[in-house]
Amino acid sequence: MQEKAQQQGAQQQPAQQKTTAAKSTETVRKVRGMVKAMYQGAVEAKAKGQPVAYCMVGSQYDEIVRTMGVFPIWTENYAGLCAAKRDAERFIMKAESEGYSNVICGYVRTGIGFDAMRREIGDTPPTSPDGGMVMPDLLLGSSFACDPRFKWYQALGHYMNVPSFSFDVVTPPVTTDLSEVTEYYVKYQHEQLKGLVSFLEGQTKKKLDTDRLWQAVKLGDETWRMWYEVDRLRRAIPGPMPSEDHYNAMVPGYYYCGTPEALAFYQELRDEVKARAENKVGVIPEEKYRLLFGGGLPPWHTMWMFNYFESLGAVFVIENAYRQYDPVEVPAHVKDPVEYIAWRSFLRMTQRYDKAKQRSGNPTVERLLEFINDYKIDGVVFHATRSCRATTIGQIHWKNLLQQYVDIPATQLISDIVDVRDYSEAQWKAQINAFVEAVDAHKSKKR
Amino acid sequence: MSTQLPVKSALDDIGTLYQERAKRARELSKQGKGVVGYLCCFVPVEFLTALDLVPYRIQGSVREPITMADSYLETIMCPYVRSCFDLALKGDYEFLSGLVVPHSCDTIQRIYDIWRVYREPKYHHFINVPHMMDPSSYEFFRKELELFGRSLEKFTGQKLTEQRLHHAIRLHNQNRALLRGLYELRKQDPPLVSGTEVTKMLIAGMGLPVEEFNDLITKVIREVKERRGGPTKKPARVLLFGSEVDDVAFVQLVEASGANVVMDDLCTGSRSFWEDVDATADPWGALATRYLRGIHCPRTCVPQGKDRHDDLEARFGYLKPYIHDFNVNGVIIYIIRFCDTYELDAPDVREYLQDQNIRSLYIEDDYSMTTIGQLRTRVQAFLEMIA
Repeated sequence: MQEKAQQQGAQQQPAQQKTTAAKSTETVRKVRGMVKAMYQGAVEAKAKGQPVAYCMVGSQYDEIVRTMGVFPIWTENYAGLCAAKRDAERFIMKAESEGYSNVICGYVRTGIGFDAMRREIGDTPPTSPDGGMVMPDLLLGSSFACDPRFKWYQALGHYMNVPSFSFDVVTPPVTTDLSEVTEYYVKYQHEQLKGLVSFLEGQTKKKLDTDRLWQAVKLGDETWRMWYEVDRLRRAIPGPMPSEDHYNAMVPGYYYCGTPEALAFYQELRDEVKARAENKVGVIPEEKYRLLFGGGLPPWHTMWMFNYFESLGAVFVIENAYRQYDPVEVPAHVKDPVEYIAWRSFLRMTQRYDKAKQRSGNPTVERLLEFINDYKIDGVVFHATRSCRATTIGQIHWKNLLQQYVDIPATQLISDIVDVRDYSEAQWKAQINAFVEAVDAHKSKKR
Repeated sequence: MSTQLPVKSALDDIGTLYQERAKRARELSKQGKGVVGYLCCFVPVEFLTALDLVPYRIQGSVREPITMADSYLETIMCPYVRSCFDLALKGDYEFLSGLVVPHSCDTIQRIYDIWRVYREPKYHHFINVPHMMDPSSYEFFRKELELFGRSLEKFTGQKLTEQRLHHAIRLHNQNRALLRGLYELRKQDPPLVSGTEVTKMLIAGMGLPVEEFNDLITKVIREVKERRGGPTKKPARVLLFGSEVDDVAFVQLVEASGANVVMDDLCTGSRSFWEDVDATADPWGALATRYLRGIHCPRTCVPQGKDRHDDLEARFGYLKPYIHDFNVNGVIIYIIRFCDTYELDAPDVREYLQDQNIRSLYIEDDYSMTTIGQLRTRVQAFLEMIA
């Protein structure tokens, strides 16, 4: 077993080539430490007897999990980390050798491969980025955003005997008359969250402290409000903070939500971005083109590609992936924090529905149109990720719809979130060069 | 009940209807009847029948290259759904007066927003089917069905009464019972009806009003029981597991390679009709229960069992009687590429089957005739192994 472990570590040494992007803001440089602390913190929590849970980003349960004293490990983040370190391939290959298709979500394949390897060698796979994910005590899946979020943890039953709970996070279609469905959607969301609380109470043998949950919720709301403020400051010309920074800055908002550290991070970032905007400090000396990362998850395996755009004078000033929602106003009559979270979730998911009904019929397109207008965008880039149905299907449609309302160049790059085998650097560079030329020509024509 | 179908043998009729699967629906549409298209087996067709609409299960075509859909849909999504939409863009579904899409999986959910924009059906509705199965999920789903009912009332101008729903439930339960009766004929060795014939039957029926389909199945069962020269005995008895198989090409390949396809667990097969709706209960609740619990699709999250064995049993235990009663000695898991839920379940299904001492072959395919032939060698090798 020891020999096998050595082989699995040795044969897959992470590539030496730097794949991450250079950052612009000082505050964002702190994120790397926060990511390391998540995985180290899980080890320490486990050692102290605190339950550790595998969790799914965006599931709306962050404050509940923390209030229940459960330490979260965000498994999608771990896959992204492995990709950024160019050390996901051994896990992906392992999952595929276990019978999982090579088109399944790259996050899922990385996670399953990691756990399959751990079970096989009886220990954390050697040289795993940031020490690996500690063996969880719980698995908390959800149906938010995509199907693999509960299927992944169901599949893990093959590799670990760990209590698992999944719940629904529901979103009505944009065509719905919200006045007809709000009551029963919120009620269902509330019931689903209560089911989660009940599961966690059973596992931790502790009752939910609603006062503490309220505190966490308020902290979470304030954190996201501060983050929203940061992004509004990014409208400045030149752009004070690029998308590659956002894809780091999202870590406290998504993985530390409901903690004072997250709020402190965005306060500091807000101050820095504000100062940069006021002093007209941009990402590059001469910002020629302002781009919108229109959708799809980022290419974690090759984040320096954002810097390549910058070498051509193009800066991604805003993005439509791993975004926080705009602040929402939960009705004042709601006095229970779990019900509050249910309402908040519903209101977040249905943002821009009214606006969409009045124009494009599509809330995502409405958001993109807002970005294009507010951030003075010159071009839109989508990233079609081969293994992610949830964020890729619809991109062509959004692009088609956008063209009905704005005259703007748009392109779609294709690779994957994690799996570098789906990425071609030469092809991307050629496509990016051509796209930036098109943006330039289009901008010149408008002048 | 009389039908307007040509009078030949019922199996000939099936062959014709299979070849021209939308013909009858087009005729009915021309006569002024509302024909409503739907995707996937999670749409409670009883609502449509109850309001005198013809439910039409939208299908793709493995024989038609996807060309027009490329301007609207990404290539990394279910090719079956891409094909359905491609046919719609090419005008094949112009006879439909409406579209109903359930939230069965990510791809189907997302096609709703795209389809309704580019095809502009007169009526369209999305049913949000919960992924979970606890009591609040049933309550939510019931509300969704009530909403669906109200939207249909608005569309048709008719009232969806309990009486009408009960009548539709009886008709569709009769349909289910007849199809189960047809499947009974597959238990014998050799089976009295081939997998290819059954597939044609199921596909043909997806475009017929339920009463006509019921008449047809009745005739086919009679004919099959009386005929000579049915399927011959083959060394292997296979169950086909997967999602949408709306063409006989793959079934024919398996049957030509040395197996009788005697049972299926497919969205286009037994999965869509094996379970009845409780006809004695409140119809709304009965339909919510049947469509959430009675369809064994990996998109629905079965709560975790107390241990691994229990978990697999809860998720795949329904396969056991299929295997036992139909004397199955091999399973072909036939998955359409980019179907996340099936692809994530596949290793677990194989593990469960292995525990039952049943060998399985896993095939991930592209929903295209060009790949069918390439599968022959793999299928033959598998069948030789289990025979």
